[in-house]
Amino acid sequence: MLKETIILSALLSAVFFSNGAKSQAFLDLQSGSLMGLAHVSAGYEAWDRHNFSAGIGYVPKLDSHAEMALYSFKYRYQHPVSWSFDWPADSQWTLLPFNFGITYLLGDHERLYFDLPEKYPDKYYFPTGKRLVFTYQTIFRLNEKIDAYIDFSVIDVALVSYVREPDFFYENYDFLGLSGITNWGVGIRYQF
Amino acid sequence: MSKYFLICLSIILGGCQYELSPWSTDADCSDNVSVDYNIARLKALEEEQGSQTSYKVALLSDPQMYPGAFLDVIKRINNMDEVAFVLLSGDLAETGIKSEFEWTCKAMSQSTKPIFAVVGNHDALSFGKEIWLKAFGDFDYSFTYQNSKFVAYNDNKYEFDNVPDRDWLAEEADVAIGEVRLNTIAVSHIAPWENDLELSQHLLDSGFDLTLHGHEHGFDFWQLLDVMLPHYITSLTKLDEYGILTVSGTDLSLENCKGGVCTPAYARTVTD
Repeated sequence: MLKETIILSALLSAVFFSNGAKSQAFLDLQSGSLMGLAHVSAGYEAWDRHNFSAGIGYVPKLDSHAEMALYSFKYRYQHPVSWSFDWPADSQWTLLPFNFGITYLLGDHERLYFDLPEKYPDKYYFPTGKRLVFTYQTIFRLNEKIDAYIDFSVIDVALVSYVREPDFFYENYDFLGLSGITNWGVGIRYQF
Repeated sequence: MSKYFLICLSIILGGCQYELSPWSTDADCSDNVSVDYNIARLKALEEEQGSQTSYKVALLSDPQMYPGAFLDVIKRINNMDEVAFVLLSGDLAETGIKSEFEWTCKAMSQSTKPIFAVVGNHDALSFGKEIWLKAFGDFDYSFTYQNSKFVAYNDNKYEFDNVPDRDWLAEEADVAIGEVRLNTIAVSHIAPWENDLELSQHLLDSGFDLTLHGHEHGFDFWQLLDVMLPHYITSLTKLDEYGILTVSGTDLSLENCKGGVCTPAYARTVTD
């Protein structure tokens, strides 16, 4: 995992410094949507509407979860469509409804692995600690510095299953079957 | 437009789960998939039906990643009156995460027959062991139906230490004084491994008459020349394939089925 972290961090840094003058940096705090109880990310808008970030999250020990750190590398595309609101009274905010992304998520726990343990034959399993997460965000722009957002996510295996067998999900879950594969979370983002 | 969007967003939000990570262990599985529930259900069925001279058992396996195809097979079995119960021999999940178990549970819960799941190697990945214990119960268990004993055991050697529990298997196969036992049948995910064929001998010596498995993603039926304990392997539900075991007294016969068409399966004898 160390090798991958270094490579991805180097790539993010290279893009940042090659485009540094135009980059807008941000700090992001998210909860839920598969990113942990709290997940802090730092990133920047590398090109117009194309955002990259790296982050670290944490899940405390719970009845339904082991204590665990999570690491993420995120890409997000922010679509230009926006709607302005002036309610409640004396407030103004903007809704950015269509934002899509993909996250490379790493779960750090002894029960998960990034490289197949030696006891297994080659390619016996995919690494259990590495996942791809596909995301959709609705962003509430509160002012030019602060965004709040709702994040919806679908993990790799869920997307594959949904595409393969949509009828199963349509018939057994709500909202075109999406409630069987989708998770949600909330976050806040500060733009420097 | 924007207000409608916000209304839709709020509704969709209510239908999704707030999930901390992919590796949570609180899978939302109905109580009717647990082993204890299904043992009670089968016992009630047996009391209602009384003694049967013949019955069938549906043998399903490896539904991971294809819950829809699995549900189609479940619905087909639901319409087969002669099937008393279903044995699902492992790999309910592919990577051992909560959502995979939930999809399989959703399909299992629609079985109108008692249904018994046996742990597979993929089920033990990630935090699958914890999910399994909460949703289904013990990895090793047994039940009796119409004087035949079915013994489900965990033999996933890469994922568990000291499996299978050979002493426990021998104890379960043992016939108590005064007990009427027509057949003793073992069920596990993986058939005896190539480098552990003495397990076949142990099972035969313990009194087992037949073993049932999955894992190999295709049908097979074999016995060792020197042991002669038949091992039946059923195929994948995603191919609409499943096995049928017919029990008539002490006579055990097997069929390989695809869709609604079944053909007899015969054990081949292998030398090693």
